[in-house]
Formats: sequence, structure tokens, C-alpha cells
Amino acid sequence: MNILRILIFGVVALAQLAVPAAMVWQREQTLKQGRVWKFRTAPVDPVDVIRGRYIALRFTAEEFAAPAKFEAGDKSVYAVLKQGTDGFAEVDHLTTEAVGTDDAVPVESVWWYGDKQHMRFPFNKFWVAEANAAAAERAYLENNRRDNQNAYVTIRVRRGDAALDQLYIDNQPLFEYLRAHSPR
Amino acid sequence: MAGVKNRRAIRWLRSQLPELVASGVISSENARAIDRHYEQDQSRSNFAFVLLATVGSAMVGAGIILLIAHNWDELSRPVRSAIAFLPLVIAQALAVFVLMRRNESRAWCEAAAIFDVGAVATAISLISQTFQVQGTFAEFMRTWLLLSIPIVYLLRTTLGAIAYVIGSVLWLFARWGIFSSQGNPMLFWLLLMLVIPYVAIRFRRVRDSRETATLVIILALAALVGVGATADFADANVGGIAYAGLATAIYLCGIKFFPQQGGRLHPLAIVGGIAIGIVAIVLSFEASWHMTYHVTWPPRTWPANLAVAVELFFPVAALSLASFDVLRRRAKFSLSAALLPIVTAAAWVITNLCGFPNGPWQSTRCSFAAATLMNCYALLLGIDILARGIRTNSIARANFGLLLIAALAICRFFDSDLSFVTRGVGFIVVGLGFLVANVLLFKRRTAS
Repeated sequence: MNILRILIFGVVALAQLAVPAAMVWQREQTLKQGRVWKFRTAPVDPVDVIRGRYIALRFTAEEFAAPAKFEAGDKSVYAVLKQGTDGFAEVDHLTTEAVGTDDAVPVESVWWYGDKQHMRFPFNKFWVAEANAAAAERAYLENNRRDNQNAYVTIRVRRGDAALDQLYIDNQPLFEYLRAHSPR
Repeated sequence: MAGVKNRRAIRWLRSQLPELVASGVISSENARAIDRHYEQDQSRSNFAFVLLATVGSAMVGAGIILLIAHNWDELSRPVRSAIAFLPLVIAQALAVFVLMRRNESRAWCEAAAIFDVGAVATAISLISQTFQVQGTFAEFMRTWLLLSIPIVYLLRTTLGAIAYVIGSVLWLFARWGIFSSQGNPMLFWLLLMLVIPYVAIRFRRVRDSRETATLVIILALAALVGVGATADFADANVGGIAYAGLATAIYLCGIKFFPQQGGRLHPLAIVGGIAIGIVAIVLSFEASWHMTYHVTWPPRTWPANLAVAVELFFPVAALSLASFDVLRRRAKFSLSAALLPIVTAAAWVITNLCGFPNGPWQSTRCSFAAATLMNCYALLLGIDILARGIRTNSIARANFGLLLIAALAICRFFDSDLSFVTRGVGFIVVGLGFLVANVLLFKRRTAS
């Protein structure tokens, strides 16, 4: 009876290890092999009580001019990306067909307002360590105003999976920017 | 030091008992007596030890995490991943140790279970942060709950089961969402069903323990929340019947499965009884019977239809429970309380006779008739409970009956839909009821 209990626990333990391991595996694949897209950010920030601190991200590419609402019904929506003239990602069009390519990302919610199609990308939280949270938030807000748009993120996309890679402030990864601008 | 030696010796002695019985040195009664003699002492000292050990290891763990967090950004992703897995691996090793060597100690089992379940959440959270994995709180809770429920069974932790049920409700809140568009809450019932076998095991082994009572009450409260979300999702206007059914089912389960001596009620039956009273009062408002949706209105998806099936399951279950006992003439419950689902269903049918008004939220003759029926029922229920209280000389029951009648009267006073004449007559009836009941009760009391 007890041997059986331990065997079952072995299976459960493997499952408990497999879930975070699978997260690591999928992310590693996308981060290593995915195509790089740069997304320019647009302001905001709350606190997620359960999973520590993060910077809430909004992107300028999350809206584009459209004459009519995109109708998806109950289906999942994907945004097909294109590179703008400034090198940053823009949404070319929305689709409900799952495209397993390196230039399409899933979209969380879609709405239409004021002749513009709006959407939310699933990569909208950038986790930061507790110790750096306040400084990171300040740096992000300072470099993310209408008169000073100096922040962007890099996203790796591989077969429809989008992985948030790095947040850049003033063309430096966030952590390096914080180290360079720390009061010490 | 003597205590430590003693404990080892006791553990050795207890492990030898089956062998001694098998070889005929002592009888199995003797073995059981010896086992029982040492059991209490053992579990008490173990509990103190495990409590201290848990607090100590938690503090060391927190210290290590703080040290790591200080330099978190300096570490590479692979190092951070390894650190994320570390507590989980340690917790699992501890769980295996407990299963092999401390399987009989409740304190060890509870501590190992809490450590393992906590470590799963830590690993997922740290990996999410390291790899910027996005996802909602609901998704996180779902994964966590599904990975934790086997631990409840393997380490037989009732505290864990209670925490699991509360976690399922948290999932429901995150999924259902007050601000987000209504998500499909049906997984909640699957999550609850996963813990039912454990409740059954507890019920068979230690039915009258305080932990079992807490577990079933938390389960009942979770189901009440779940019915709300399900009714909201189903959009089929049968939420009232579902609530009536669930409240009655809880009450009947409390009476049938947890019989108490001397006319007392198990806490589960009390929770059910209070729920019955609240549902009856809520449904006595005419606004509860303004129909806005219809079961047959398209478009209906299959999850929404499943939600309707779940809603209707509760009244059917309540009626089955009640009729089983009534047919065998063994009913120990209040018949008027058990009638709630039938009366609610009748009121529902009456409301639907009128069809739909031009716009939603409008009164019709039928919704008024339905509310009147529910008012009469709530009044009868209050009088019945009051009468039962007087008959069994139970002050608590009599007061609950009076409270129900008073609540009904107050609700009708503020319900401006009714005419002054109706209100006046209602108040006179309630007032007279109060007077008669009190006189009867106190006469009985002074006489006895």
C-alpha cells in the first residue's frame, strides 16, 4: 500500500516538475530561435499581488486605423506583424486563422472605437526584481512620456509563440540602464 | 535526552507490534491497546516538533530567497531557473521521506503537504518571472490547483483539502471576473468534484471530527458561490430554482448524513437552513421574478447548456434526497423546508405563463403572482420552524423562525410595489403571529 502511495507520488512529483520545466523549454526555444520584433511602448502600471512586481506595458502598435470592426465571434484572434519604416513592429492585419509563422502573435482582446481597431498583446507584463521595482518603474515612466518616447521591448516570435525578451530604456537593457543611472 | 530515546524506543516497539501479533506472542487486542497507549503522547510531542521545524525552515527559506533576490538580476537565466526548482525538489524529497518513515504522523503529513504545495507555486512564479511568461491569475491558479490536489490524497491532509476548495473559489473569482467579460466558470465544478472522493473518505473514517465538519461546510459555501457564477453564465433564468435546490440539498445532507443526538443540528444542516431562509426571502421580492432571458433563446453554446444542467442538478438532487426518506417514512427534516425547490419551480412556471413583457425588468401579473406565492411560502416556513422550535423547546429554532418572519415583514415594508392595503394586512398578520408565538413559547417555558 505504501509502495503504491510512493509510486503515485513519484508520478505527481514528475508532473509538478514538468509544468515549470515545460515553460522553461518552450521559452528557451522561442528566445533562441524566434524572429526578433521591436515594439515601441506606451504608458501605465499596477501591482500584481501574487507574482511580485511588474511593469505593465502598453504598445503603440496596439491600435491602428480601421474603417470597420474586426468580427471574430468566439474564435481566437492573431495579429500579423510587419516592420515599419522606423524599424518597429506594426500590425498589418488581424486574422482568426492560426498562423504558425514567425510574424504572427496571438491577441488577447479586440475592440473597435473611434475609427481605430484596438487590441491587447499577451506579452504585457515585464517582471522586475523587488529591489529594482521602484527604480525600474521610475525609469520606465520618465522615458515613456509623450515628449520623451525612449522605451521599447524586444519580442521573439517562433511558430506563433511570442516571448518577451528584454525591455530597453534609452537603447540599453533595463538592468544595465538602472546600473548606469543608480545614485551610487 | 531521555525523551528522545523514549520516542525512538516507542517507534520501534510500535513497528514490532504486527510481528508480535503474527507470531502469537501477544493478541491483536493487546497490540491495539499498546498502540493506543503511545499514540496520544507521540502525536502531541510530534506536533510541537513539526510546528517548530516548519517555522524554522520557513524562516531559513525566506532568508535564502531574500539573499538571492538581492542579486537576482545579476544571475543568468539558467542559474535563476535552477534556483526556482530547488525548493520544489527539496519539498518532494521531504514528502517521500514522510511517506516512507513518518506516514502515521499527521503533523508531518500536513507540514510536508503545505511545503510541497507552496513549492509548486514558487517554482511556477519564479519561472514565470525569469522567462517573462505571461498569463492570467486564473490560469496560474488552475495549474496550481491541479498539481496540488493529488497531494491532498497522498498525504491525507484535510487542511490541504480546505485550502484547495478555497483556492477553487479564488480561481472562480478570477475567471468569472467582475470587470472582465464573463468567462466560462464550468471548470469550477470539475475542481470541486476532484475533492469529493476525499470528503467521502473522511466521512467514512472520521465523520464526527471538527475538521470533517469544517471541510463539508466550506464545500457547501463554495458550491453556493459556484451556483451564482453558473447562473450568471447560463443566462437561463433558472438561478432561483438552482439556489433553492442547493440550499435544500445542503440542509438535507446535514440532517441525513450527520445525525446528531438530542434533537441538535449538525453545523452543515444549520448552514443549509440559513441558506433556505435567505433564498426564500430573496425570492419573495417581485424583482426576482422579472424574466430577462429564456432557456431556448439562441445563440446557446454547449457550455451554457451544461451550466443549465448543473443548475437543475441541485433541485433534482434535493428532491431525490427528500423523497427517498419521505417514501420510507423516515423523514427527520422539516417538510416545509424541503418543499422550497418545488415551490420555487411552481413560481417559475407561473412567471413564464405571461410570456415576456415588452422590455426586460418589467412587472407582469404573473411575476406578482409568483412573488405572492413565495411570500406565503416564506411565511409558512417561518411559522413551521417557529412551531418546531416550540414543540422541541428549542429557543434557537424558534428564534430563527421569528427572525424569518420579521425579515419578511421588513422586506415587504420597503417593497413599494405593494399597495398600502396589502402591506397593512401583511403587517397585522405578522404582528399577530409574533404575539401568539411569544405567548405560547413563554407559557411553555414557565410551565416546564
